[in-house]
Amino acid sequence: MKFGLFYEISVPRPWNRETEKTVYDRCLEQVKLADELGFESVFAVEHHFLEEYSHCPAPELFLTACAMITKRIRVGHGIVVCVPEFNHPIKIAEKTAVLDILSGGRLEVGTGRSATWTELGGFRANPDETKKTWDEFVRCLPAMWTQERYSYQGRSWSMPQRTIVPKPYQKPHPPMWVAVTSPGTEIDAAERGMGSLGLTFGGFKEQEQKVNNYRKIIRQCEPVGKFINEKVATVNFLFCHPDDEAGVKTGMRLTGTFNYLASQLLAAREAYPTKSYPSLGLLPSLRREAAGPGDDSGAPEGIAIGNPARIIKALKTWESTGADQVNFLLNALETVPQEQVLNSLRLFAKEVMPHFQNKESATAAAGGR
Amino acid sequence: MPPRFGTLDTSKFKPGNISDYKTDALTLKGVQILELHMEIDDDPADALIPKTMHPAIPMYAIFNVMHAPNSEWGPFTIAEVRAAGRTGVRPRGFVLRSYIDNDDAAKGLTSRWGFPVAKADVTLRVLHDRITGRVKLGGKTVLEVEEQDRDSISGNDIQYIASMHLAQSKVDNKLVVVQVDPEYVFHKAERGRPRVVTLDPEAFGATASSLNVMGAISACFTTADITLPKVRYICNPDVPAMQGTTKVAA
Repeated sequence: MKFGLFYEISVPRPWNRETEKTVYDRCLEQVKLADELGFESVFAVEHHFLEEYSHCPAPELFLTACAMITKRIRVGHGIVVCVPEFNHPIKIAEKTAVLDILSGGRLEVGTGRSATWTELGGFRANPDETKKTWDEFVRCLPAMWTQERYSYQGRSWSMPQRTIVPKPYQKPHPPMWVAVTSPGTEIDAAERGMGSLGLTFGGFKEQEQKVNNYRKIIRQCEPVGKFINEKVATVNFLFCHPDDEAGVKTGMRLTGTFNYLASQLLAAREAYPTKSYPSLGLLPSLRREAAGPGDDSGAPEGIAIGNPARIIKALKTWESTGADQVNFLLNALETVPQEQVLNSLRLFAKEVMPHFQNKESATAAAGGR
Repeated sequence: MPPRFGTLDTSKFKPGNISDYKTDALTLKGVQILELHMEIDDDPADALIPKTMHPAIPMYAIFNVMHAPNSEWGPFTIAEVRAAGRTGVRPRGFVLRSYIDNDDAAKGLTSRWGFPVAKADVTLRVLHDRITGRVKLGGKTVLEVEEQDRDSISGNDIQYIASMHLAQSKVDNKLVVVQVDPEYVFHKAERGRPRVVTLDPEAFGATASSLNVMGAISACFTTADITLPKVRYICNPDVPAMQGTTKVAA
């Protein structure tokens, strides 16, 4: 199993140019260290208007900065919003190609459609349409990346024949993922031959069932891209500390803060009744699990907080569900001091990663810093 | 914890008087419910909700008009305006003011749940091109809302959030925020375009600034059986819900 970082970029009030810059600088410092420690990837969300919760409206810029200061870690959109009011598909194809070139072919392209009225309403997007436009966009992107001349006459957008340049550095194109929050979206991912980028999780049993469904369906998929990206990633929190009690305590503060912030947002379904959003979206599931039953320590089951032994146990269970990768949220509202975040990453790489890697890469990871 | 909390001046609020917290649940059959969600001006709207709540991001108002064809008090129609917020992590609509057309129902709803209801001429009209809810107070229309462009959807797509309201408790002689989390069994559901035709904010304890409708979100109209449960939780209006919530029934 591989490990990545997942950034919402949460910025506490009061907002001024220094607080925003400090948070971005700290995230970049974490990514640079993660690259040295052997983490696989860094994903960044695209969110708009989500005050305090996520100040990351331009992930391609953040990911470009990440690529410029790292050597091997992959950079991923987690996700780019495939709704025309947010992003024109030509611009998505162009910007992802440039980022792939600048990163030397390290781009992962997560796709999705936004889950909050805060954002959908802000762009005056119709919640009933987002699943349809997402489906149309993800079929177009690989052709725009690979065909020299491209034209399209579609439902939500069209273009006359033009040459979309540049093309991505990776050939035939970067791996494609789907953000999986609503129930059944993992099936959408499998049917299209795309990776399942889990942004919520239920219990282990539910996850195992989702993975099994995904693996089964993807065997008969009709891929939207030129290749099948059969991967399942899930999301988790990370705070690793030598002292279990201290680790759980800080980790619980992190999860509590993150989930509390998320619940202040206006989920699409709460405001706008539609079958297009059968669940509350990104975070209620994560919140439920993070507040769910655990052991006497108070740590919820499956959350990667505490000492290395506890975290290894949690992640081994995730591994047994069939997940290929776990992406970690490291902070919320800067509730964990930067030095502790960095130490948590170092300890995780040294004590936890070797239990999930082959000997060669584990050694490299442990010696990374 | 986010630093934004409600700033409602509770001394100026007209609460209902709740007798005790021991009322039985009440089921109303075949209730017609018109509900509009409208975005409102964010910062001034903090003054609509008590400190026990955070504002939703963005803030929105819920306009709810219900017609119950049968009840132990006879048929009644009730209209409410709520400000949407959060108690801790839970979405809630804070009732600014309710108007009802049936004196007995007003008494029952106030004494048993503490709803801040007053008597008015309240109507719900179902037409083919629109559904209209209206409140007339002393002959003057203080609220008229509509759903237009009606389209059928599934009841499974509806998610009504629970409401909260300020009440004067006779049990301990203090102001409390009462949570009511009705259960719904939907028979029909539709969604349409919302329109606020008339709104007198002062009739709902607000001002033109604090209840300033900025944009439309949705309207839905349902027919459902509603169960008003017994009161289970109350909050201290002056402190955040995470610190000031009391369970009063299992």
